Amino acid sequence: MVRRLLARIGQALVVLLAAFTASFLLLQALPADAILIKFMNPDLGLSPEQIAEIHAAYGAGMPLWSQYLHALGNFLTGDFGTSVQAGVPVRDSLAANLPATLTLAALGFLAAVILALAVSFLSNLTGFVWLRNSLAALPSLFVSVPVFWLGILLIQVFSFQLKLVPVIDPGPWERLILPVAALAVPISAPLAQILMRNIDAVLTQPFVAVARAKGASRHSVLWRHVVPNALLPTLTIAGVLFGELLAGAVVTETVFGLNGLGTLTQQAVANQDMAVLQAVVVISATAFVLINLAVDLLYPLLDPRIAEADAR
Amino acid sequence: MTRDEASRRWGGDAATRRAALGAVAAVLAAFVAVPASAAEEPVTGGTLVYLEQQAHTNLYPPAGGFYPNGGILNQITDKLTYQNPKTLEIEPWIAKSWTVDADATAYTFEIREGVTFSDGTPVDAAAVAKNFDTFGLGNKDLKLPVSEAINNYARSAVLGPLTVRFHFTKPSPGFLQATSVIGSGLVAPKTLALPFDQLGDATRIVGSGPFVIVRETLGREIQFAARKDYAWGPPQSSHGGRAYLDGIKLIVTPEDSVRIGALLAGQAHIIRQIQAYDEREVEAKGFPISAPSTRGVNNSIAFRPDNPLVADLRVRRALTLATDTREIVDTLYSEHYPRATSVIAATATGYRDLSAKLAPDAVAARRLLDEAGWRVGPDGIRRKDGRELALTAYESLPQPQNKDMLQLVAQQWAKVGVKLSVLAGDSGSRTLDMLDPLKTGVAPVMVGRADPDVIKSQFYPKNRDALLQKGGSSTKVQAFVDERLNGLFDAIAGEPDRAKRLQLVGEVQEYLLDQAYVIPIFEEPQAFAASPLVKGLAFEAVGRPSFYGTWLTRP
Amino acid sequence: MSTVPTRVFASGSEAGRTAPAAAARRIARGGFAALRRTPPGLVLAWLVIATVVLWALAPGLFAGQNPVAGIAREKLLPPSAAHLLGTDALGRDLYARIVHGAVHSLSGAFVAVTVGLLAGTSLGLVAGARGGLVDLLVMRLVDTLLAIPTLLLSLTIIVLLGFGTVNAAIAVGLASVASFARLTRSEVVRVRGADYVEAAYGSGGTFWRVLWRHVLPNSLTSVIGLAALQFGTAILSISTLGFLGYGAPPPTPEWGLLIAEGRNYISRASWITTAPGIVVVLVVLSANRISRAFAGSPR
Repeated sequence: MVRRLLARIGQALVVLLAAFTASFLLLQALPADAILIKFMNPDLGLSPEQIAEIHAAYGAGMPLWSQYLHALGNFLTGDFGTSVQAGVPVRDSLAANLPATLTLAALGFLAAVILALAVSFLSNLTGFVWLRNSLAALPSLFVSVPVFWLGILLIQVFSFQLKLVPVIDPGPWERLILPVAALAVPISAPLAQILMRNIDAVLTQPFVAVARAKGASRHSVLWRHVVPNALLPTLTIAGVLFGELLAGAVVTETVFGLNGLGTLTQQAVANQDMAVLQAVVVISATAFVLINLAVDLLYPLLDPRIAEADAR
Repeated sequence: MTRDEASRRWGGDAATRRAALGAVAAVLAAFVAVPASAAEEPVTGGTLVYLEQQAHTNLYPPAGGFYPNGGILNQITDKLTYQNPKTLEIEPWIAKSWTVDADATAYTFEIREGVTFSDGTPVDAAAVAKNFDTFGLGNKDLKLPVSEAINNYARSAVLGPLTVRFHFTKPSPGFLQATSVIGSGLVAPKTLALPFDQLGDATRIVGSGPFVIVRETLGREIQFAARKDYAWGPPQSSHGGRAYLDGIKLIVTPEDSVRIGALLAGQAHIIRQIQAYDEREVEAKGFPISAPSTRGVNNSIAFRPDNPLVADLRVRRALTLATDTREIVDTLYSEHYPRATSVIAATATGYRDLSAKLAPDAVAARRLLDEAGWRVGPDGIRRKDGRELALTAYESLPQPQNKDMLQLVAQQWAKVGVKLSVLAGDSGSRTLDMLDPLKTGVAPVMVGRADPDVIKSQFYPKNRDALLQKGGSSTKVQAFVDERLNGLFDAIAGEPDRAKRLQLVGEVQEYLLDQAYVIPIFEEPQAFAASPLVKGLAFEAVGRPSFYGTWLTRP
Repeated sequence: MSTVPTRVFASGSEAGRTAPAAAARRIARGGFAALRRTPPGLVLAWLVIATVVLWALAPGLFAGQNPVAGIAREKLLPPSAAHLLGTDALGRDLYARIVHGAVHSLSGAFVAVTVGLLAGTSLGLVAGARGGLVDLLVMRLVDTLLAIPTLLLSLTIIVLLGFGTVNAAIAVGLASVASFARLTRSEVVRVRGADYVEAAYGSGGTFWRVLWRHVLPNSLTSVIGLAALQFGTAILSISTLGFLGYGAPPPTPEWGLLIAEGRNYISRASWITTAPGIVVVLVVLSANRISRAFAGSPR
């Protein structure tokens, strides 16, 4: 077990380093750079010579490998560098933006799980075939709608037509309602699809028949036996969905005018603000690695069959 | 804001709203009977919710040319002089009087007493001198650039606690007007001691204006509060004291549909950049639209003659003839966007009506292209020596419906056999390509300023360099330079006699169109839409909003 | 593949027109029988895909008007007989733009899926078939791809390659490599343990030969299912890139761009964004339905 743990942690570190290196190389290949974009603005009226001076002052032009080692060393000591565009340390912009996105993502994921559970249970519990079929079709619909379009429609309908939630200058919780909904809808789709498939699979297992034979009702079988077994495989895609959440956050934050990691990322790409992008990659890679590590390590604890297989 | 206030402001829940409807109708009926004058009494208090299309970039006052920057600076800074937006005359403000020597090489200003920056330091001769030394000469160490509004600046001299004189190396007749522009907003010396980088942080900009910035969420939201001790509004304004509003909440809302929807749903008081296609609906619902002219260089397409495809005057002339500005304005814009009749707007100083040079004529355009040796190829695109007559332009995001405008121009040019590709592009590639005449043979341009110098701002190689001349902003330019044009600009910037100066301004407009360096399309306004609750909305001479005299009928 | 439902559709509609004839009734019965065998949702899904594929192949047959140059004064017209779905701000017929846009969106999605499929399947195949250190290395590479946020990866690749439908498609495709690799690997691992594969090795087959003859064909069904799913996802991703300002340059009538650009007119002319939006939803729904059919799910 300890060996397995160490191996998994080692692999996670390798993935982190690889993500850092790959993104560093990718970002270095971009055509322009943040300094140029910021100071070439015609409003500033700087001459090419002045811009060249500024460039040199920012330390651009060092050999690639030394920039790489420099950046890596800084990251290991927790120094994320300075955002050229905003003129503030990257750590500060992260501190200002990360909590908002984490809240949005966490609530979005929670809402997605609830939505997925609701859809898959109802479709299994209902006696009406038509309702069962239309509920089963919902996830496909959810995943077919572009998130930004959904967001704009939600704003139009719920804020401007029905006037239920303001989008301009809303309260701290009001501001989350529509974005969380927009984010949760597409995320819930794969969850619901997996849940439905798992519920179907578990229902055919012998122990369900045994439980039914012992006189348990359909509801209680579903709750006591099927749900725990169906939820388990769902856990595994949580890690993969994290990336979806971040992409969703970029779009929802843009549509709803929220501050967060998403808008930060988008602006950083537009301005080719390397330090910010590098930090975003490292943070999301870390989150991805941690979630997957947690899922990997928790799974045997939750599912005795895998633990046995592991022991063998 | 408490929950109670919030629900009142946003109309509350459906039940309350239904109940309130009857009451509102009754009140409205009562209001109709009230004479207009009674309703015009300004109310003090309230926070104005202002939706801005783009986030500001930098609040170094000379960067105020960018609309979002100017919209913020105009609330927090005062200017030495005040340009009356109606007459365009220069009137006293922070300077109570001034003298100009005969050849416009020295200006002396007497500064009003008792004016302070919001940090308490006085607005005195030394502070004003520090401001213009920085704007006129720049500061290399702090990366602060020279203001495009100020020409031939030499030095300042503090003659007394409230008397300051500015000296110029050559005549600088535009300087008096330059002291009134958004780019000459007075800021505290400590603000000017900061490097350029840090001036993006709005909370660090200390001005003497009617509002101060109390909080900022970078790129998203700025909160202004009125200065209670403000007592030096422009003498021409209706009141000299504090602003009527308690505060302003500026929220960056890039989505067009959200800005419009929020305004109509009562979630915002005023929005900047309402697109022409939304005007009819907004006005029909009783929301007034203001579209002050920016009185500068018209929204235009500029050529980069260093690009061999457009180096030939006949090609540039042909493309000017192929462009039908009437169709563009009728299709995409409204009466707030008048067709261009010269390089600068009809409301701009020194304007000369050159509409005869801008009449579309596709037949003449084709003839000129034929003469220039460009033959129509099998795909309908003209060719010469195996090269296609194909140009590329990048969309300019701040200009209204620029992408659609360029596409329409592309359709018109296609009729005479010229291909125009419109690119969106990320800002990095755009920044690089815009400096390369081979990659961008044409570019959308526009700049607003109510002084003849504005043309120089747009085209002079040391300023915005719209034509990309050698020795200007780009190192990619091989040869193109127009000494005659630059000479005209130098002459305008240094001609102290007003009549002669305006004569030169007329000449430069003619020259730009005779050389077909630029195709003017329309006179660009800054379009705002406001809630009926908003009164006393004012704009400075080139269309930046001033909320000093603004008040809300129901704060 | 697409012949089955098309034939079903043809016989069904013939039946509607020549109902009195007994022969036609027989055909109709046959058609309905075939329909009954295939779930109706799946038939509809294939119909939708067949239609848009035809749009992409021969747009001129379906829409006569010019999709990129309109009549300027006929701007922002609501849907009518002359303009089935109305016109946009430049007076271009929206229906023509959607029909002519099919080739951009579909080829974009096709390129994206191809990139993901080829790269992902090869990685997964090698990892799953070889096992051991190769497996470990390849799967960590895949993890790395998953660890870098997809959208950030796509945006950066577009900035790098330049704007355009194909480049956006490559960016989207590269971002989907990881899913294909993971799925293929797990399929290969499953197949590899099967008796007949063991037997093939036993009868002297080389590694690559066994891989090609036995492992690959048996892993393919679910991979094709994923490809169909990714096809829909790619259309959505490309449209999201358009929304963020990283789409094809105008006047390309790519669907995502139509939705993204039309959104500004939502209060004045809502059809401009709704119509392409519905088309995209329908196509993605159909792709998902077909994907599920490959995965063997009955609904």
